[in-house]
Amino acid sequence: MMKGLMGVKKTTGLAALAAIAALTLAGCGTPEENAGTGGGKGGAAGAGDTELTLWLAGGDTGDDLRDYLKSEFEKENKGWTLKIETIDWGDLVTKLNTAMPDAKNTPDVVEVGNTQSPTFTNVGAFLDISDMYEELGGDDLLQSFVEVGEVDGKNYTLPYYFGSRYMFYRVDVWQEAGLEVPNTLDEFNTAVVTLTEKNPRAIKDFSGLFLGGADWRNGISWVFANGGDLAKQEDGAWVSTLSDPNTIKGLKQLQIIQQKASMAPVDAKDQSPWLYINDTDEASEEDSSVTSTSLSAATIMAPGWAHWSIGDPVIGEDGQPERNPDGVIIREWNPAKFGVFALPGNDGKPAPVFAGGSNIGISAKSQHPEQAKSLMKIIFSDEYQQMLGGAGLGPANSQFVDSLGTDEFAKALIDSALNSKLTPAAPGWAAVEASGNLEEFFGKIAQGGDVEELAREYDQKITPLLQG
Amino acid sequence: MKTKTPARDAGRVDAGRVGAGRGPGRGGPGRRGFAWTPYVLIAPAVAILALALAYPVGWQLVTSFKEFGLAQQFGQPAEFNGLDNYIKIVTTGETWMVVVRSVVFCLVNAFLTVAIGTGLATLMNTIAKPIRLTLQICLLLAWAMPVVAVMTVWNWLFDWNHGTINWFAIQLGADQYWHHNWLEKPLSFYAVATIIIVWMSVPFVAFSVYAGLTQVSGEVLEAAQIDGANGWQRFTRIVVPLIRPVLMIVLLLQIIWDLRVFTQIRMLQDRGSFPSQTDLLGTYIYREGVGANHFGMAAAMSVFVLIITIIAAWPYVRSLMKQEAI
Amino acid sequence: MSALRRLGRVGASVLALAIALIWVFPVYWMINSSFLPNTKLTASSPTFLPFGGSLTNFKLVLSQGNFGAALKMSLFITLITVFCTLLFAFLAALAISRYRFKGRKSFVLAVLFIQMLPAEGLFLAQYSMIRSMNLLNTVMGVSIIYIAAVVPFTVWMLRGFVAGIPADLEEAAMVDGLSRTGAFFRITFPLLAPGLVASGVYAFLQAWNEFTVALVLLQGETKTLPLWLRGFIQQSSQHEIDWGQVMAASTLVAVPVIVFFVLVQGRMTSGLVAGAVKG
Repeated sequence: MMKGLMGVKKTTGLAALAAIAALTLAGCGTPEENAGTGGGKGGAAGAGDTELTLWLAGGDTGDDLRDYLKSEFEKENKGWTLKIETIDWGDLVTKLNTAMPDAKNTPDVVEVGNTQSPTFTNVGAFLDISDMYEELGGDDLLQSFVEVGEVDGKNYTLPYYFGSRYMFYRVDVWQEAGLEVPNTLDEFNTAVVTLTEKNPRAIKDFSGLFLGGADWRNGISWVFANGGDLAKQEDGAWVSTLSDPNTIKGLKQLQIIQQKASMAPVDAKDQSPWLYINDTDEASEEDSSVTSTSLSAATIMAPGWAHWSIGDPVIGEDGQPERNPDGVIIREWNPAKFGVFALPGNDGKPAPVFAGGSNIGISAKSQHPEQAKSLMKIIFSDEYQQMLGGAGLGPANSQFVDSLGTDEFAKALIDSALNSKLTPAAPGWAAVEASGNLEEFFGKIAQGGDVEELAREYDQKITPLLQG
Repeated sequence: MKTKTPARDAGRVDAGRVGAGRGPGRGGPGRRGFAWTPYVLIAPAVAILALALAYPVGWQLVTSFKEFGLAQQFGQPAEFNGLDNYIKIVTTGETWMVVVRSVVFCLVNAFLTVAIGTGLATLMNTIAKPIRLTLQICLLLAWAMPVVAVMTVWNWLFDWNHGTINWFAIQLGADQYWHHNWLEKPLSFYAVATIIIVWMSVPFVAFSVYAGLTQVSGEVLEAAQIDGANGWQRFTRIVVPLIRPVLMIVLLLQIIWDLRVFTQIRMLQDRGSFPSQTDLLGTYIYREGVGANHFGMAAAMSVFVLIITIIAAWPYVRSLMKQEAI
Repeated sequence: MSALRRLGRVGASVLALAIALIWVFPVYWMINSSFLPNTKLTASSPTFLPFGGSLTNFKLVLSQGNFGAALKMSLFITLITVFCTLLFAFLAALAISRYRFKGRKSFVLAVLFIQMLPAEGLFLAQYSMIRSMNLLNTVMGVSIIYIAAVVPFTVWMLRGFVAGIPADLEEAAMVDGLSRTGAFFRITFPLLAPGLVASGVYAFLQAWNEFTVALVLLQGETKTLPLWLRGFIQQSSQHEIDWGQVMAASTLVAVPVIVFFVLVQGRMTSGLVAGAVKG
């Protein structure tokens, strides 16, 4: 009996071993090859060594721009192909952390968010391209972006495109409240509070200016406009400057707006504010009756490209809103309802707002620096810069801002970008953003906390992070 | 579903064996020669665990004693800094707040899940088959939802602007829920998180406990009833002790899983709340370590959390071992 | 007395149905919304039935990104994970439930403690390890990590089943003239099937849903379905979030799981019922 039992066990053991062997060979082995063709292959290495990889963040660079880069690159580098991969913004840092130090898998040319640039340039992730600086545009390049790509006077990343934030407003609602477009920041601050109090359409939870409480990227405009800043370099070390009197002044103005003019949640970040300025569901009822409206803000502050999301939906023959190939509802700008202006400063110039946009550079570990440089030349060529402008993206080279056009969006974009500022070029800036401290700081101000006290508290939290 | 499957019979037999206190195994020491079969059998599992985990876990342990940031990731030499990372963790007040919050959150969630799961299992045991099947299928569907999809739906249900929950509340006459932001206040945030996590975890517990219940013989219960025990007494005095091994293991697993909950909290934080007020261990490690590129710190925190988990679970594991449930 | 009891029964049934409704509501809501246009979804009162709905959202979703490639990737990874996990875990379960051997307790404890490892900081090391194996961007690379993540729990789950099958049964079969292997495959294996199905479901869910490891190990545009879904949501939220499309995308990710569940439903519920308990 016992002997028999043991025998069974041995058999199962052996059968198992055989099964594993078979499995590793057959089961686990083959599908990999199948999937290889289906899934595609990342990274620069492999595929013969005649492929250059470009990582673009998000979908801002449109298809025609990508096609242009590919065909030009392949024209200039015979026998080479350009592979463009899109990395979602939210995954970019994780992917850069792992792939960029890895010579075998690094992308050759990489787009990074402008505020992420210092973190990576400071650790040597990018190739020194100071020798190309003049050739790629030199001092015509947007200087605030050049600075965040610079370490010890050497250029590692250069501006790719810029966006800027300006105000979108409901012309009709402002008129109904008897208000005009303000010329100074003080006027603006008063106007949005007045708007909210008058609430001409008696909308529930109406915001004169809809500004998310934790939305510090828009909120810092008030800091910058009052001469304040988030951090500065003192004797080589970075210091958080939330307690600076000018910063405090801006934050207090912001607090009044948050409390009296904005009904946005205090923990709201960049939550698509354009939802609240559209009449979204006016077209929604089938019997064409308008039961309610989602319009709940007379003014929002948003990056320039938001204008594609603002307007009245274009209704197709089937009674449904038409959509673009990405499935986004196509909206038609209606000048009777909507308008734009740059946030004014108190000195007659537009207020310095936070410039969105990104930088681009060559990975230090790239195995094909020559070809990568050739791609950089194409990106900074006159044609491509003009194409960027044509697509509504602020071109890196200021000589080509005209390509943005002459409409009101181009005007507001250029006006606001003229004076725009970036977050500090501190090595640890990405850590500051990742820590969520700024969201909390601005959110707590929106909640009505004591500004000076909060500023002191968060200075202490942020200063150590800034050093990287 | 067949009512009598071979598996269930097999389960009965097993319950009998465990109940009779007969431990596993009849091979082992004392046999002639070296019994290599069990080692061959665990070899593939050990191999895959070693292959996939040995290096990362070892790396994590070593890195936890280093100053390791983004610069080191990009090739600069990483220097050992002894216990600095650990000292920093232990001396940061926030860490302990997060630990306390996580433990409380984990216990509340684990016990709620097991309580509700057990309740549902008991309910399943008393209702007619078609209704039981309906309930089981609904639970299965909920269980089958991918977590990203789950979070998307729940985030939307609780959305302050278009959320269905607010709409319901208003329909019921609670007008203050117009544009109510569920995520702003930490307690309310945790309540939402608890609802989601319990919702996701209950099906597993309910099925496991139901399995245990089907093995409780009806005759014993009837006998107890004849002896005058009421429903609650029968449940606490007869059913619970019989399904105790199941309950304990399910509870242990829930505690382990809920203590390291990450995705749900992270995706809720993406929508709202102030992270420093709502962080649990998983998101705290991620934010302070990985997010800030302080990888040495993140590694030390992971080790710290592992130690806390083991300490917390140890007495429990020991009692499980004593009962031969392990 | 019996009337009272019947009342209790009816009450229990009503309660059970109400609970079923609560649990299925988010699932229903996802599917319902996926048929509706965004204008309906952002209207001030919700639409509870997908009347007048259409497949537009699905068409739009499928036309973007590489759903097909991601589906293929996810299927391969998941199937390999399920298959390898079941095999490895079954063998280990056999060892710990039928043998006493030196190191058995350590193995069981190790398997338990591995489940307590926080995974948030592991990705850098996992990346460099998989890279040195030359398995980045491959199904195999991701699967290795997944199998190791799922095996511990599966070992726990299966050992209950294995312990539940008396070895004497095989003996008896052999006495009746079956060969040893025959006895194993004819007698033991069928008894194990529900347990394998139940553990397989667990492995399936884990591999299908995992996100972080896939993000790190799959560079470039190689994606699994959860990555595809998240990418889709991120893209969508850069403009106006189109909830209808997001829900359609979520439904697409959930459907294969639901199909799988329906296929194995009968075996699984009985499997779960019989074995999950043994722990």
